[in-house]
Amino acid sequence: MMPADDRRWEILENVGAYAAGELEGEKAREVERLMYERPDYRHLAESYARMLVMLDTLGNEPVEVPSAAVGYAVRRAYVSAFMRNAETFIGALGRSYLDALVYYLGLRKESYAEAT
Amino acid sequence: MRASGGDAGAFRHLVREHSGLVYRVALRIVGPQDAQDASQEAWIRAWRNIENFRGDSAFSTWLYRITVNTCLSTRRKESRRKEREYSGDELPFLPEPPSVEADPEAATLNTQQREELLAALEHVRTEHRAALVLRHMEGLSYAEIARILDVPDGTAKGWVSRGRAAMLVALTEQRQDDREAGERAR
Repeated sequence: MMPADDRRWEILENVGAYAAGELEGEKAREVERLMYERPDYRHLAESYARMLVMLDTLGNEPVEVPSAAVGYAVRRAYVSAFMRNAETFIGALGRSYLDALVYYLGLRKESYAEAT
Repeated sequence: MRASGGDAGAFRHLVREHSGLVYRVALRIVGPQDAQDASQEAWIRAWRNIENFRGDSAFSTWLYRITVNTCLSTRRKESRRKEREYSGDELPFLPEPPSVEADPEAATLNTQQREELLAALEHVRTEHRAALVLRHMEGLSYAEIARILDVPDGTAKGWVSRGRAAMLVALTEQRQDDREAGERAR
């Protein structure tokens, strides 16, 4: 046996699903029968319909995006892209200097000989 | 796709194009006080993870997912606002407002109605609110909502349904509180 509160919530949710046009077949018929028998269920369905219209209206209202909401992220993206490029550049430069030093100290004679 | 290769210029274009989506969803889920911070955080997460975007789903679905997850984690850090409870014998009833018309195309909300809706949304559990926003304000399908929230379709449907019911209860009780406060003031 379902507790009374759970049963009330179930009806509340079923009427909501009906008002949103999401119930079909036997479940829809059951809600229609409830609405036919009890005016408070009919009022409940009407209340849902009003609320859904208001939600839809609010959802369609244009929203002004504050420039700070996006500017910061874009700046962060540029800084991190710059840092990534700088890291690659400095890494490549460092490797070149190391290669030059290795060559200068004559530590890679074989490879020099192979190259020549 | 250029943005996913680390091109900041391409990312800037994406931000410009989709900033409305991110801010709008953040505004509805975390409210006006935290929407800007949540929106910034969502874009930072998007930049950090953009190389993982392979185009398997629409970019907007991927962005919705990042935005909603950011909003949910923002909200989890805070103490949960008390959800209005429905325990009365009377069913919630919302009287017909004079300025909201049946045709959504023609409908407009006045400031009081907008504030009422946003305040009532705050009383809906965060996951249910996110599902409700995606379904009834963003107009997404249950399959899309399930992908964004990373839950099975049935769970997404259940969350929308519970969010819808909780929202109606909150809206009705809020109007009742306002009416009682008005009567006391007289």
